[in-house]
Amino acid sequence: MRRFGQLGVAVVALLATGIIAAGSLWLGGYDPLVAGRAMLQGSFGSGTAILSVTMVRAVPLIVTGLAVALAFRAGVWNIGAEGQLYAGAIAAAWVGLSWGSAPRWVLTPAVLLAAFLGGALWAAIPALMKVRLGIGEVIPTILMNFVGIYLAAFMVHGPLQEARGVFPQTDPITDAARLPVLVEGTRLHLGFPIALLIGAMLWAGLRWTHFGFQVRSVGASPEAARVSGMIESKRVLLVAFLTSGAIAGLAGGIEITGVTFALYEGLSPGWGYTAIAVALLAGLHPAWVIFTGLLLGGLEAGAGAMQREAGVPAAWVSAVEALVILFVLAGDQIRRRFHA
Amino acid sequence: MTEVLARLDGIVRHFGHVKALDGATLEIHAGEVHGILGENGAGKTTLLNILGGIIRPDVGSLEMGGTPVRLQSARAAWEMGVGLVHQHFTLVPGLSVLENLALGRRHEGRRWTLRLEEIRQEAYRLGRLTGLNVPFEASIEELGVGDRQRIEILKALLRDPQLLVLDEPTAVLAPAEIEQLFGLLRTLANEGRAVVLVAHKLDEILSIADRVTVLRDGRTVMTAALADLDAAVLTEAMVGPSSREEEEPEARVREVSSLFGQGTERLARDRALAARVVASLNGISVYGPRGELVLQDVQLEVMSGEVIGVAGVEGNGQRDLALLLSGRRDVYVGNLEIPDDVGFIPQDRNLEGLAADFDLTENVALAVHRDPEFRWGPLLRWDVIKERAKEIRSRFKVRSSDTRVLARELSGGNQQRLVVGRELSRLPRLLIAENPTRGLDLTATAFVRGELKRLAREAAAGVVLISTDLDEVLELADRIFVILRGRLTLVPSVRHSRAGVGAMMLGGGPEVG
Amino acid sequence: MPEAIAITAFLEASVRLGIPLALAALGETITERSGVINIGLEGSLIAGALGGALGALALGGAGAGVLVGALGGALVAMIFAGFVVGLGTDQIITGTAVTLGGLGFTGAIYQTRFGATGTALTLPTLSSVPIPFLSDIPLIGSALFNQAPTSYFAYMVAPVLWYFVYRTEWGLELRAVGEEPDAAAAAGVRVRWSRFWATLFGGTLAGIAGAHLALAHAGTFAENMSAGRGFIAIAVVVLGRWNPLLVLLAALFFGAASALQFQAQTLGLSLPYQLFLAFPYLLTLLALAGWVGRSRAPASLALPWPKDR
Repeated sequence: MRRFGQLGVAVVALLATGIIAAGSLWLGGYDPLVAGRAMLQGSFGSGTAILSVTMVRAVPLIVTGLAVALAFRAGVWNIGAEGQLYAGAIAAAWVGLSWGSAPRWVLTPAVLLAAFLGGALWAAIPALMKVRLGIGEVIPTILMNFVGIYLAAFMVHGPLQEARGVFPQTDPITDAARLPVLVEGTRLHLGFPIALLIGAMLWAGLRWTHFGFQVRSVGASPEAARVSGMIESKRVLLVAFLTSGAIAGLAGGIEITGVTFALYEGLSPGWGYTAIAVALLAGLHPAWVIFTGLLLGGLEAGAGAMQREAGVPAAWVSAVEALVILFVLAGDQIRRRFHA
Repeated sequence: MTEVLARLDGIVRHFGHVKALDGATLEIHAGEVHGILGENGAGKTTLLNILGGIIRPDVGSLEMGGTPVRLQSARAAWEMGVGLVHQHFTLVPGLSVLENLALGRRHEGRRWTLRLEEIRQEAYRLGRLTGLNVPFEASIEELGVGDRQRIEILKALLRDPQLLVLDEPTAVLAPAEIEQLFGLLRTLANEGRAVVLVAHKLDEILSIADRVTVLRDGRTVMTAALADLDAAVLTEAMVGPSSREEEEPEARVREVSSLFGQGTERLARDRALAARVVASLNGISVYGPRGELVLQDVQLEVMSGEVIGVAGVEGNGQRDLALLLSGRRDVYVGNLEIPDDVGFIPQDRNLEGLAADFDLTENVALAVHRDPEFRWGPLLRWDVIKERAKEIRSRFKVRSSDTRVLARELSGGNQQRLVVGRELSRLPRLLIAENPTRGLDLTATAFVRGELKRLAREAAAGVVLISTDLDEVLELADRIFVILRGRLTLVPSVRHSRAGVGAMMLGGGPEVG
Repeated sequence: MPEAIAITAFLEASVRLGIPLALAALGETITERSGVINIGLEGSLIAGALGGALGALALGGAGAGVLVGALGGALVAMIFAGFVVGLGTDQIITGTAVTLGGLGFTGAIYQTRFGATGTALTLPTLSSVPIPFLSDIPLIGSALFNQAPTSYFAYMVAPVLWYFVYRTEWGLELRAVGEEPDAAAAAGVRVRWSRFWATLFGGTLAGIAGAHLALAHAGTFAENMSAGRGFIAIAVVVLGRWNPLLVLLAALFFGAASALQFQAQTLGLSLPYQLFLAFPYLLTLLALAGWVGRSRAPASLALPWPKDR
């Protein structure tokens, strides 16, 4: 019963968003139908589109979506996935470039591990501020996003800049650090099944493990968890927060090793923020995140086509994603009122 | 004096699909103290809130001074002369006492300034007239419940109400404070005002009211002058004819045995034979956030098979004692020994007992997730937990369609049954219960009290009942302590009475007559 | 004397950097006093910036731009309040969504209107208006009293808000709503109404801050030009302990700390450019961490009312 309610909210939210989105396009002087067709063509219209664009774009969204879902399930408002992603990407690029001569079976895991740890480190500052000092995590995580972006910029202008020294980007990482392509001729890489694996692990962990239950309890009711469950809320929160950051960092690492093979400014078009829409639309459920990640991945993949063919600015897509969040929130509230 | 000040007729009010009031009536005369009696859940607070303009009835009429009115807001009710003093205090801790008194008083046309001095003068004058002594200079956080209530009453009186309405004012007071309050109410009534008093304790109403209205299941079942009634008649009116399921004592015992299982009898025997000390506190002191002592030098030993009652007015350290005894807090000075498997029934079941969005099974898991029988290494055995949840649901009669119902969908009584059942089913050696029957109807209350007693007697557990309800403590406890300003004092058995314990709750020592 | 000029320049930069923060933070102070934390403040800010730009161009004057900017900020805040106060959605996530939507929509509108070219927009600016006598005071005169009118507005609004919060019946009710909304409701105060207006007011002031950014500070509009000032403003409210006068001071102090980065340049320290960019955010983090426990937020902050819906 509860599942259907959640699905209903997601569907209605998407519909409402679609209507408002189309309306806003029309107000802006664009043709909603042309734009819509262009988007669908660009995202799901062909094999190439699906495999090389949509699914590839979905990978960072799914992974950061999982990171955000985990945090939100624990009651932690991690708005910092963007910065954590960059931190992971920086760490991945750094390790990938430093140990470029290592064999594949050592280098690739090492790079991904570095990304994982980089993300966790980035989350550590707001996490400690929350747990030790009692400072709400929302503003600190947002601030760290800015710092993370500037740190990446600094890296590619300075220490990690390519040997040529011309563009603000790193040298490409060696082949041994790159994720293999899954389907010949496409850009679909190992990162996709890795994302699925993370989703499965998160799902199983939350549902079956003792620690997962503790995380869910702290998120459902910190007081009940503490008083009735005798759960050490602070420790659980800290681990969940750091893990969330680590997963977001991993998303950055996967992007570096699977798609871009180098670090540069503007690596992420705001995935850390889109992840919030991905997570909420999925009802914070790890399995559903895969689908919503694909959906929003398609949206972003189609945005490029939409801009080319209908002239719709790319920024509009993030506005639409924000609408999705708002309608999901509203839908959840209304559903709750109906129950009571 | 039969001048009718207010009259409510045929009031019906729903909250969602729950019918809180189903044809209630109320008539208040000038100069009287009017008691409203009824079980928890009978609709008393809802009726008062309608009289106070806080909520509006779905159906029904309201007359003030003979004229039909519609009270659109609390403000409208004041303007009509109704002063409502709520059950849960409505003082704002971040504001000063004067600002609290000033809150809500609107001087139209002069809203851009706050005349606190004027309010002080008025309040002072009123205080002298009524004997309500209010510490103006204190900050709200420092004040105890008695003071807070006085401020609430003063706040209401400052608006010069014709009708003063008090919702369960005695719940948090010591017996001597109740007497003081009643004296004040009688004075106010003698001035020609009307005082409406809600209570669910019969003897309090009997001692102060002139006329009584009894509510049951949202309906008015009786209105009469107290002179014509006695306690038996009133009780029957409150509870209804005895058509409630009375269970045979033997059936209950059989039921309990099957709950606790074969092992229980042996367990109880073993525990009883040992007559063990289940918990001990030695020289325990606990400091609060501002460095003040919230528990002072507490000495306590809990034996298996006994019920210890801790009586006291709210705010004297009960919370810290409860958290400490149940192992939920471990910052203290002194020696504390408690078993690992302590059960805890917290007083705020909604906030601390249950997670609203968890279903029955998950809420049961909250209590049992650390017990080895429900674990498989790092994994939880949900199948076993679900079985336990089903058992609890049937044994403790938690009314719900199945175990997948969310806690927020249960009624208060059923929520408490879930909490009690969940804790008791672990057969802990020590159980701490904090105001376990607060807000429950008579059936649920009797049930919970019965289970606590049974746990002590049949499973030889040590039960510590910490309650602001003196009658509950007197009914259940083998040994009684009084907690006052963080100190625990044993009440000698000769003084196990309302008067005896009541005096000690306010600081009279055991030797005081 | 070069030192005097340097000091004046520093003070001038401090005020210049601090005013947008001050305006937004003062607005948010009132909002938070009612128990609402508006993470969407950034959205109001950027809407104010775009509104200011569009208004100034369409209506032919910077002053008109400020009014349109205020409206833009108010509109965004109204959407936020509709969800949070009207429906009772979670304040944090709703605010985040409103900010994302605000940044997205303003970016899209800007690109639609002006094309996605790189050329910067030129806007009619809010020129500085020196106050006679006061602007001649040595050292601080030209920093404090030779500013755009919106700066003077900030100076005036702070004490007015202080008086409002602490010395009027409206302010008493606002504080009650922020501390203990149940008690306020019992006293006849309209809690949701208060929260709604407080949020709207905060958004309006943030809109003015945004218009100031575009019209007085930068002289142009660029996508995402708010650069997180809305979030920093929320931290400034904490530093100022939800007291309007202290919030103004905290904002100016913050501006001063940020202005140090320019001092570092003149001192010849060769620190990476990105460090300067990141400096305000790092500073905010530090300030939050250092200020912990010094002040108490309104007790009902971020909590929905009525509680269980």
